[in-house]
Amino acid sequence: MFIEDLIVDIQGLTAELGQAAIFLSLLAALWSIVLLSIGLTKRRPNLVRSGRNGIIATFILISIATGTLIFGFVTDDFSMKYVVEVSSAAQPLLYKISALWGRMSGSLLFWLWLLTAAGGVVVLQNRRSKDSLADYALIPIAIVQLFFIVLVTGWIEGVYNPLARFPAGQIAADGQGMNPLLQTPSMAFHPPTLYIGWISLTVPFAFAVAALLSGRIGSDWIHRSRRWMLFSWIVLTAGITLGGHWAYQELGWGGYWAWDPVENASFMPWLLGTAYLHSVMIQEKRGMLKLWNILLITLAFQFTLIGTFITRSGIITSVHAFAQSDIGGYFLGFILLSTLGVIALIVYRWERLKSANRLESLLSRESSFVLNNWLLVGLTLIILWGTIWPIISEAIQDKKASVPESFFNQVVVIPGLLLLFLTGAGPIISWKKITPNNFKRMFIPPIIVGLIATGIAWIYLAIKTVLKDPNQIDGGLFANIPGGLLFSGEKFPIFSLLCVFASVFVLVAIFSEFSRGAKLRTKRQQTTFLNGLRLLIQRNKRRYGGYIVHIGIVIVYIGIMGSKGYFLLESESLKLGESMEVGAYQLTMKDTFQEERENYFRSGVVFDVSKNGKHTTSMRPARHFYHKAGQGDQDTIESAIHGVGMDNLYIALGPLPAKIDNTTNVNAQVYYNPLIRVVWIGVAIMVLGGLVAITERSESTTST
Amino acid sequence: MKQRRLKIIAASTILLVAMVFLVLAMTTKTSVLHFTPAELVANAEVNDQQNLQVDGVIAEGSSTWDAANFKLTFAVQDRESNETVNVIYENRLKPDNFSDGGSVFVEGKYDATNNMIVATKLTTKCASKYEGAESTSSEKSSS
Repeated sequence: MFIEDLIVDIQGLTAELGQAAIFLSLLAALWSIVLLSIGLTKRRPNLVRSGRNGIIATFILISIATGTLIFGFVTDDFSMKYVVEVSSAAQPLLYKISALWGRMSGSLLFWLWLLTAAGGVVVLQNRRSKDSLADYALIPIAIVQLFFIVLVTGWIEGVYNPLARFPAGQIAADGQGMNPLLQTPSMAFHPPTLYIGWISLTVPFAFAVAALLSGRIGSDWIHRSRRWMLFSWIVLTAGITLGGHWAYQELGWGGYWAWDPVENASFMPWLLGTAYLHSVMIQEKRGMLKLWNILLITLAFQFTLIGTFITRSGIITSVHAFAQSDIGGYFLGFILLSTLGVIALIVYRWERLKSANRLESLLSRESSFVLNNWLLVGLTLIILWGTIWPIISEAIQDKKASVPESFFNQVVVIPGLLLLFLTGAGPIISWKKITPNNFKRMFIPPIIVGLIATGIAWIYLAIKTVLKDPNQIDGGLFANIPGGLLFSGEKFPIFSLLCVFASVFVLVAIFSEFSRGAKLRTKRQQTTFLNGLRLLIQRNKRRYGGYIVHIGIVIVYIGIMGSKGYFLLESESLKLGESMEVGAYQLTMKDTFQEERENYFRSGVVFDVSKNGKHTTSMRPARHFYHKAGQGDQDTIESAIHGVGMDNLYIALGPLPAKIDNTTNVNAQVYYNPLIRVVWIGVAIMVLGGLVAITERSESTTST
Repeated sequence: MKQRRLKIIAASTILLVAMVFLVLAMTTKTSVLHFTPAELVANAEVNDQQNLQVDGVIAEGSSTWDAANFKLTFAVQDRESNETVNVIYENRLKPDNFSDGGSVFVEGKYDATNNMIVATKLTTKCASKYEGAESTSSEKSSS
């Protein structure tokens, strides 16, 4: 009793405390901007120190504000507007906490909190730094913070303060509860991972601005922010994949990527970040691309805001059901102003941004990096084009329109395959200019192995097509010539074969890089091959970590090729005891089940799965009826997924009546997704490679 | 030196032009026009047998789920008027969040004589009662 009373007493104060903290943080951020600017221009170390403290203070204040909101969730404080909207008493604790980013105002506060934490970390990391580069970087960080603080104050129409209460004394009996679709572990972790990835991108951007502000355009700013960039990249890689994994498990359409505007918004900064990670190497090695790197990181940062703009402004309709508001205009304004600021700084520092070298040949490692950059930036622009096509269309032809998934699937294939090829060609091509010797030694073996693998894949695909439908032998254009079998089928699998060739080429190229280096070490250190390999990676974590990422990329491509290119889909209406077929599998509806869970009711059917007459497993797809879902009659698809080697058998069910008997029709949509697990494995390898690369300490003293 | 630069510029121009061409060609090929039910009904003949998208809300009480034939039928209603367009969606699951009054985007081929869309894709958004105050106000400003 006593504790409950105490909680109620505290609840009476927390929201107000949090609101006060937000207001004070506004002053603290302003304080930092002003003092750092004056301190750095007038060379007054004590002002700079005070500015740094302002950054720490902002972090503490926003932590208090976020803490009070979490307290409101955990203690079910239904006098708070935001708590009522996204939480309810019965919601499990994990989802009470993840409700923090369940809606717009809360997610802005959460974003801000992460941003202030990043600012705090930058201060701590650089507290013993001999130069002032990091102090310069704190200015743009504080400006971005200030922008977000203004957004959560509640002064802007359409965005209320997440700590706001209902008018005087009104208390709701219970909350409306979070959207049941969001009540899964991957959805609890997916948004914060993306946020962390996006926010850490702010730091390298801030260092680029710091380089412009301070005039120290060497490679210092890149070294100092390298680990932030890699961290952001790793987290974004994981976060985007978690989102795909969530869609795959929860949405019941058997896929993981649909080129939805919000997915694109998360993917575009990743592409730009990837481009940046490559182009900085050219600046470090050859003193080129200085201006480009600054532009690239600026663009990557702006795209994190553009993503938010796209999802929150309501200018583009998206599945992601975030409420729309006037906030888009503020984002657009901030994006434009900050870009103009960077451009002004670039003009101001123009003389120092000149390259030390030029491209010497089209066939060189430098060129392969430049091509990589163009392709990645090009892909970003293509995806942006497709995403904002509704706006463009309305502007130029005065008609509302959009492009479907197939647009994206088709336009990304060629740049995507070129990029895949580059992940292998880049690391083995020589600097400055390719030599015949370099080509013979490094390129010929992987090309030969790649061609052999392509031939095998070609024959395999042709046989599979014919086995599936023997009539197609006659239908083929080249049916009457020897080997015409290979050209049968609806269409020649050109992209699959190119993908196989490039994948094998890259794997052979990268693995021989590893083995060459490891053998050298083995010989020099008189040790075992494995030990040599370990030493090799340890001595140059950045390089070989990067190669591991490349291997992961290849594996992801193979998985995408299989799961996007060769999936099977069957939909049928079944009664108890009836069965259906998908590929080689036979599914028989055996039984039904009903279970009561903590905050939902689970109802579903049991399928017996057999392959060629042999029983392999049973699967239990279901639907969930959430007790407190805010929308009463809403139930959600809970698909059943069964792994077969690297493939998945996937069942999603249509609406079910409360009681199923022998006459009830159950609607099953069944997918066979080949190689889909390969996608998740490939991403795991990419993340692992990133982690290897990030452990290398930056050499912060060298500069060009 | 000069020749080399020329080569690089030529190569990049070709790449750029090819990419732009590809993207523009694909855009015109795949782009689907959006209509409100009222707009579509008003221009029914022009859009007969066209692939298009209709944005509206699920008309109250219009939806039926025919489990035996794996078929969803409903009417998509204009946000501002009573005009509706009928929708048939076969052999696909009804998406989550599908409920009366909820926002829906219907993609498919339009049949003017029956004022009906054979849908290939349905996208739903939460019903406004679930979205809460935050979006009901903005829905007006954005439409």
